[in-house]
Amino acid sequence: MSEPEIVPDIMRISWGPQHPMSGQTRILLDLDGEKVHRIIADLGFTHRGIEKILENRTYLQGIVPIERMVMADTPNIGLCYIKAIEEAMGVEVPERANWIRSLVCEMARINSHLYAFGLQAESTGYFPAVFLWTTVDRAWILQLFAELTGARWSLNFFLPGGVYKDLPEGFENKIIEGVNYLRRRFQKYWDAMVENYTFEMRCNDVAILKPEDAIRLGATGPVLRGSGVAIDIRKDEPYAAYGDLDFEVITEDACDSMARTKVRFREIVQALNMMEQIAKEIPDGPVRTRVPFFARPKAGEYLSRVETSRGELGVHLFTDGGMNPYRVKINSPTLRNMYVFERLAELDEILMADIPVVINSIDPWYLDSDR
Amino acid sequence: MSLIRKLIKPFMIVFPHIFRESETVAYPTERPVFPERFRGRHKFYFDRCISCNTCARVCPCNSIELVEVVGREGKYPQIDYQTCSLCGYCVEFCPKNALEFTEFVEFAEYNRSNLVYSPERLTVVPDLKEVLPMLKRRTEVYHTETAMKYRKVKDV
Amino acid sequence: MNPVLSVWNIIATYVFLPTDLIIQWVSDIFNMTMDILLHLPQYAMEFLTVNAKPILQITILPGLAWVIVYAIIAVWFERKFLARAMLRVGPYYCGGKAGWLQLIADFMKLFFKEIIIPRDVNWLFFLAMPVLLPSVPALAVILIPFDTHWVLWDVGGIGLPIFFAIAGIAPLIPIFTGWASKNKYTFIGAWRVAYMYISAEIPMVICGAAVAIMTGSFNLVEIVKAQQNMWFFVPQFIGFVVFFLGVFIQSERTPFDIPGAETEIVLGWRTEYSGVLYGFVMFTEYVMLQAWALLFLTLYMGGYNGPVLFGAATASHIFWMVLKFVTLVTLVILCRCVFPRLRMDQMLKLGWYYLTPLAILNLIVTLALKLMGVF
Repeated sequence: MSEPEIVPDIMRISWGPQHPMSGQTRILLDLDGEKVHRIIADLGFTHRGIEKILENRTYLQGIVPIERMVMADTPNIGLCYIKAIEEAMGVEVPERANWIRSLVCEMARINSHLYAFGLQAESTGYFPAVFLWTTVDRAWILQLFAELTGARWSLNFFLPGGVYKDLPEGFENKIIEGVNYLRRRFQKYWDAMVENYTFEMRCNDVAILKPEDAIRLGATGPVLRGSGVAIDIRKDEPYAAYGDLDFEVITEDACDSMARTKVRFREIVQALNMMEQIAKEIPDGPVRTRVPFFARPKAGEYLSRVETSRGELGVHLFTDGGMNPYRVKINSPTLRNMYVFERLAELDEILMADIPVVINSIDPWYLDSDR
Repeated sequence: MSLIRKLIKPFMIVFPHIFRESETVAYPTERPVFPERFRGRHKFYFDRCISCNTCARVCPCNSIELVEVVGREGKYPQIDYQTCSLCGYCVEFCPKNALEFTEFVEFAEYNRSNLVYSPERLTVVPDLKEVLPMLKRRTEVYHTETAMKYRKVKDV
Repeated sequence: MNPVLSVWNIIATYVFLPTDLIIQWVSDIFNMTMDILLHLPQYAMEFLTVNAKPILQITILPGLAWVIVYAIIAVWFERKFLARAMLRVGPYYCGGKAGWLQLIADFMKLFFKEIIIPRDVNWLFFLAMPVLLPSVPALAVILIPFDTHWVLWDVGGIGLPIFFAIAGIAPLIPIFTGWASKNKYTFIGAWRVAYMYISAEIPMVICGAAVAIMTGSFNLVEIVKAQQNMWFFVPQFIGFVVFFLGVFIQSERTPFDIPGAETEIVLGWRTEYSGVLYGFVMFTEYVMLQAWALLFLTLYMGGYNGPVLFGAATASHIFWMVLKFVTLVTLVILCRCVFPRLRMDQMLKLGWYYLTPLAILNLIVTLALKLMGVF
């Protein structure tokens, strides 16, 4: 790529693909001593052409590749595409299916936030304890996924017209047991990590993003809510069963990295409450409306938005009456948050040692931004 | 004061973890029991298949191809596990339930061509003890109030 | 002349005298051999304790075997201990469930790996520094007393300043290394080392001076002897805290492993090393911890003194020293699980704004106590 010129007295470091903490991306940092003068994000290492793949698959077949956009959070992304298809096909989803969809989405949200939390701990040098505790706790959620859907990570559980299968016997009790177990674990996380003096020293007042800047630059997800702006698609345009569930949008006012971590943490607690409510109050009924596999919806343009754990994901679907979509445009949250990340060097003074903390407080998943 | 509490409390939380049991499954000697809906390798039934080609058309990864089999009439599915994503559409949409899932996930081979499973090979699911000679017990997960533990279900 | 007498003289001189001499010689040899054989254990003990004591000290304690065996056991212990805190098992298959053979396997692997030298590197410094790295702190270990008469190098009674002098060389070596491997990451690691060590060493030297004032001498054995009734961390509590933090900083352990911060600058000044040079560099980390931890124990935690019951020491002094050392190393390893890493400017602020004034305060308090005659 054509990179900007290097100014004299500035050292350019490539936080490159060969780095213990960079993920699958390359970020060029212009350093003046320890202070970061400029950040240039060089994305695109994991481009797989998902939008093009979807043009050559039928609608139901297309759910499988699109779910692999973010592996930690697959139901949310599948749900976004499926909502667009259902709108195109004019299919009505039964009530119980909507509740099960919310349940699975919330479990995936806990999965993804725990992973982000563990990475945030690892990036501050706190590699041992918390990152592996989160892996252990996620193992319980993955076990529940395996019992419900058959796979642990890429679930393929949603179909246009409902969900694949009903909850197995005794599943509601397992959820309630597990929710109690996780609540007790989270109290430990809060005490051992968030209220840890050294962790606060690393994360407080780092990369402050003011609310007006966040809205102007297009931040989304916990990045936006950590700056005090209360925008959440689950409340603004309710889908699945979120209209009936009882939750509130979590914001924090401190606008620094610690606030974003705390937003994620509180969202986990809230997701647990939602799961418990679903397990107790889920209505009975059918779970699936049969839709023919090679259906041809009518031509048109359909838009659907979903709140994944990283932010708002949008799918803009263009159909032309055939078996395959004409064009699928996916608007990914990580790409927009990476743009905010690039501008953070101008908004606030960041040191080089802060870069891992800031990146992981934005929580990118590079397969999502590169599609 | 809160500074001392924030320095000492993390110690008090991390230290008891040293005395807990570890959460590791010692893989070749132990193997968990997977739930019944688990999507592992396929198992194929010759007498139920009617060669309708639905599984090949439905597969999003183009992994299924119907081939001829020596000694039988008609064509039967051959699954290429290099590209199969274990999504479950072929199992779901087969009109005669000729394909079903097992809990077998040990796919590793030395040659790429061995990963293309012919219909006869799909019929037979080997016993776990042949593939993992070091296997001693099967475990399952359960959780108590404070920990997630693995307990032995049966010896192998 | 009597011919009989002269013949007798000849016979006596040439026959009886040599025979007598020979018999006496043989019986002397026999007596000496029996003497040595019967007193062999006693001679061996004397030899070992008086003549060979330096050799024993150099090879076993506190010399080569102590440093190497400690480093090997510490690597295994750290891996297992951290794994338990992370709810894992650590090395499991190699060598029974404890995994002690894994160490030997890793150690042998380091010898067989290729040493990659980048092209434009200053090869003299690049290859020479890893040899110096563990040697300098190991040189400092020989000053520590393990018993009243078990000091390898007494230095004529000025052990404490010599320790600080040797420890003053220790920061220079990573700086040379970081500059010599022409890499931006190592360069950042090198100047982080420079900042960090200088800001931590000054408070520690001042605390050492306070201890020396309280004892009245620089000799490490005298310092330990003066702690027989009360360990020095009680009257010099502030110095204890400052020096304790200093032990972490000087041995580059979390929460102060900033020059070797893996999440930001791959491995800091150690990035370009591979093969057996990498083994030396990793070995350094444990040797530095050992040197500073032993000094900390000598100055503040009573050295080799153990509890005294009924007027006699309970167990050997070496045993108490080793026990205290193991406890301190366990605590240092546990801190790795609990605290994240500090940032460079926060660490500098800690060193210059907090540790140095506290060390000076400690010195003033010690002088006051000494002048008032309390100690």
